[in-house]
This record gives sequence, structure tokens and C-alpha cells, in this order.
Amino acid sequence: MKLYIKLVSASIRSRMQYKMNFIFSMVSYGVIMMIDFVLLAAILNRFGQIKGWNIYEVGILYAISSISLSLYRTLAPELHEFEKYIIEGEFDSLLIRPVSPLVLLLSKNLDLSRIGGILQGILILCLSLYGLSQEQELIYIAAYLPVILVCGCAISYSLALFTATLAFWTQRIKDFQTFTLYAPFNAANYPMNIYPGWLKMIFFTVIPVAFINYVPMLYLLQKGGSLYFLLLPIFVAALFFYVSLKFWNYGIQFYHSTGT
Amino acid sequence: MVYWLLFRKSFSRNMQYRLSHLINNAASAIFGFVYIAIWSAVLTGKEQNSPFSIMDMTFYMGASQCILWMTVFLTAGLGIQLGVRNGSISLELARPTNYFFYITSQEAGRIGYNALFRSLPIGLIFTITVGFYIPAHLPTYGYTLLSVLLAVGISLNIFYLIGISSCWTTEISWAHFINLTLMFSLGGQMVPLTFLPGPLSLVAEWLPFAGVVYYPVMIFLEKASLSVLLIQAGWFLVLLLLNQWITFLARQKIEIQGG
Repeated sequence: MKLYIKLVSASIRSRMQYKMNFIFSMVSYGVIMMIDFVLLAAILNRFGQIKGWNIYEVGILYAISSISLSLYRTLAPELHEFEKYIIEGEFDSLLIRPVSPLVLLLSKNLDLSRIGGILQGILILCLSLYGLSQEQELIYIAAYLPVILVCGCAISYSLALFTATLAFWTQRIKDFQTFTLYAPFNAANYPMNIYPGWLKMIFFTVIPVAFINYVPMLYLLQKGGSLYFLLLPIFVAALFFYVSLKFWNYGIQFYHSTGT
Repeated sequence: MVYWLLFRKSFSRNMQYRLSHLINNAASAIFGFVYIAIWSAVLTGKEQNSPFSIMDMTFYMGASQCILWMTVFLTAGLGIQLGVRNGSISLELARPTNYFFYITSQEAGRIGYNALFRSLPIGLIFTITVGFYIPAHLPTYGYTLLSVLLAVGISLNIFYLIGISSCWTTEISWAHFINLTLMFSLGGQMVPLTFLPGPLSLVAEWLPFAGVVYYPVMIFLEKASLSVLLIQAGWFLVLLLLNQWITFLARQKIEIQGG
């Protein structure tokens, strides 16, 4: 952990050499990400609600999904770009060091521009909580939010690690990422009860994005479920993290250098 | 003809990645299903207040997912910025060809590939699962083809404009990102422009982004008048002339640097 903090702080210092670029990219990223939600708000403003979920409730789902993904993109940009390590043979250089290649990948770089995504998520979350505070008690949601966000980040990271591992066989993973990260997280911005059965089955099992926000919020927003729904995200995040780590350790045995 | 040759070579190069593209098609279809589900949920019981029925929106989303691969998911800056960074643009500008057509014909080859191996399979997935609109009138097919060609023309010009701007800015990633966001939001990919709040809807209908997704889809669905083709053609010509002029300026700038 000490080593990780040291490596990450070095990465932050190097990024801060270009402060204006950092601020501009962070703000632009946040503003641009927000346009999606503004469009959704325009629809809901006209039509009222979406299968029993009003704009503030959808806003909470949207914010949690958005913050979780942005946290992962901030902390693990090299894992996200892992295919370049395989295609260009850079993975060799990580294997010869006396530290786990996964720790090296995580500590090598931080994508601070993605903090803009986190900030826009926090802004939408605050606005949505404020809107809901007129109608119901929010103390339980506020208290449980840190747990939800940690679980959300862990699930995103696990899905990304699983996808990155595929590179040991397929080399390229960009197309898989659309399938395992972009499309599911886009879907997780909205309540799961709007999707047809087969899509719901995917989002509750193999790509478990429903547990990032929908499942705990069902209970916290008093839309159904039981206290047990608050424990499920922790269990699913731990299980998926363990499985993806095992898969990574298995996949790494199949790595072949490019010889370049 | 050299541009036709570049088109064919680019098409063939993309054929190498058919398998991974087929996987991506499934993800594109999931995006479409997500949007269809959102609109079905939003419109259930409220269709009488909407210019689109649930079925209309299903067809709209299916068609827009198909056209995205021909007009929105193009190469960032058409790759021009790479040539600016490594200096190869000076050689490319010196060739006895029109630089604009030299670059865009290569991207057009990729678009041709996308039409066959991305748009068509995605359309087939929607046809099998939720249905795909079949125009009732024969001329609609011709108008749709014309509208799609104009949409491709507008899009190529916008992407080229961003790419050639790298002669002055070097970095275009944020311009590309902003362009994509505008194409998604003001292009009507997720929300048809008629659903946008009043003034924004009015302005958006006159912007080039509407010609990239919204108008071709609306013409295909037989929900737009043919006058929108004039808006598309107008933007295509304006952007084409603008790009010729900016390419002229870029050539002068590069020549001065190399002298």
C-alpha cells in the first residue's frame, strides 16, 4: 500500500506540471457528460416519470453509475488501455519488476481529467437528493452512499479487469469494452424495471451493474425489497472482484511476448 | 482513379477486423435496446400526448443506431492530426492530388465497410427482435439514400475540419470529444429534436448536426418533408467550401514552416 501511494503521488505530481490542461480537460469532461442527463431531464420534464421513477430518483441512479465508472476511469486508466501493453509488447517490462504487474498498472498513471465525471455525478446527486428531500427522509441514503460508491467502483474495476484479461488471448479488447463496460453502464443510468427480461438477466448476473445502484436504491427509496438488498452489492462486488482476480492470474500464464 | 483506389484499399483494410466488429455490433444493438426500453417506459400510457408512438420510437432508435456507424463513429480528425505531429502532412500536401479528397476517400472506404459490416448486421438484429420500419412509398428509398449520402458528406466535412485544425492547434482530442457530444445530443440520436425544449429544438433543426442523424432517420420513417434535404445540402456545400479554403491556408502554413 505504501508503495502504491508513493507511485500514485509521483503520477499526480507529473500531471500537475500542466495545471491549465488538467483544469480545462476536467471541466470539459464533466460538462459534456452532463448533457446526457440534461436530455433525460428534458424528456422526464415533458412526460413526468419513467415506470414509477421520477426525475430525482433516476438522477440518483444516474449519479451513482456515473461516479462509479468515473472513479474507476480515474484510478485505473492503464488497465483500461491494457491492449497497448499486449500489442506493443510493453507488458514484458512490468513482468520483470519485483512488484505485481497489476499494482504497477494501477500505480503507473491516474487520469485526473475523469474527476470532472465524478464532480458532475456529485452535482446531479446533490440536486436529486435536494429534490427528494421535500418528499422523504434521506438520512439512510446519505449514510449508505459511501458503501454504494465503493461497491460500484469495485464492480466496475472487476468488469474492467475481466475484460483486460481477455487481451491475453485476443490482444485487442476495445470492442469487448463496449460490451462489458460502456453499454451496461449506460443501461445502469436508468431503472432496471424498464428493460426486457433477457437484458435484466444479463445485468443481474454476468454483468452485474444492477447491484451498483438499482438494487440498494429499491429498498432505500421504499420501492420494494428488504434490508437484505443493502448487503447484496457488497457480496456481489466481493465475489466479482475475487473471480476477476483469479481470472487475471489464470490469463497471465497465457501471455506471449511480441518479441519486438 | 486514385480516390477510388484509396476507397477500396481502406475498405479491404477494415475487412481484417470483421470478427471483433461483429462483437461490437452486439454492443451497439444493446445500446439501441436500452434506448428503446427507455422510450417504451416513458411513452407507455402517454402516446396521445406525443408525436411519436412507442412503435415509432422503436423504429427511430433502430434506424439511428444503424446510421451512427456511417456518420458519427468516424476516425477522430480523420487521422490528419497524426500526420501533423510526425510531419508527414507536408509530403501529403505536396502530392499532386486534392488533399481533402485524398483524406476523405480513405475514410469513405471505412464508411462503406461500416455500412456493410456494422449498419446492416445491426439493422438485421433489430429486424429479427423488435422489427424495422419498411417505407410505404417507393420514392422514400431514393430520398433516404440521398439524405444518408448528404449526412455522410456533412460528417466527413466536420471531422475533416477538426482534423485540419491540428495544423494550428496540434491537439484535437477535446474538439473531437465536443463534436461527438454535439452530434449525439443535437443530432437527435437519443432524443428526437421535436422533444427538445422549444427554442433549443428550433435552433437544433437548423444546425449541421441535425443533418447527420435526425433528418436521414426522419426521411426514412416518412416523418419529414423533403425540404430538410435542402438544409442538408446547404450545410454540405458550406462545409465543403470552408474546408477547401482552410486546406489552402494550411498548405501555405506548412510550406512556410518547411521553407
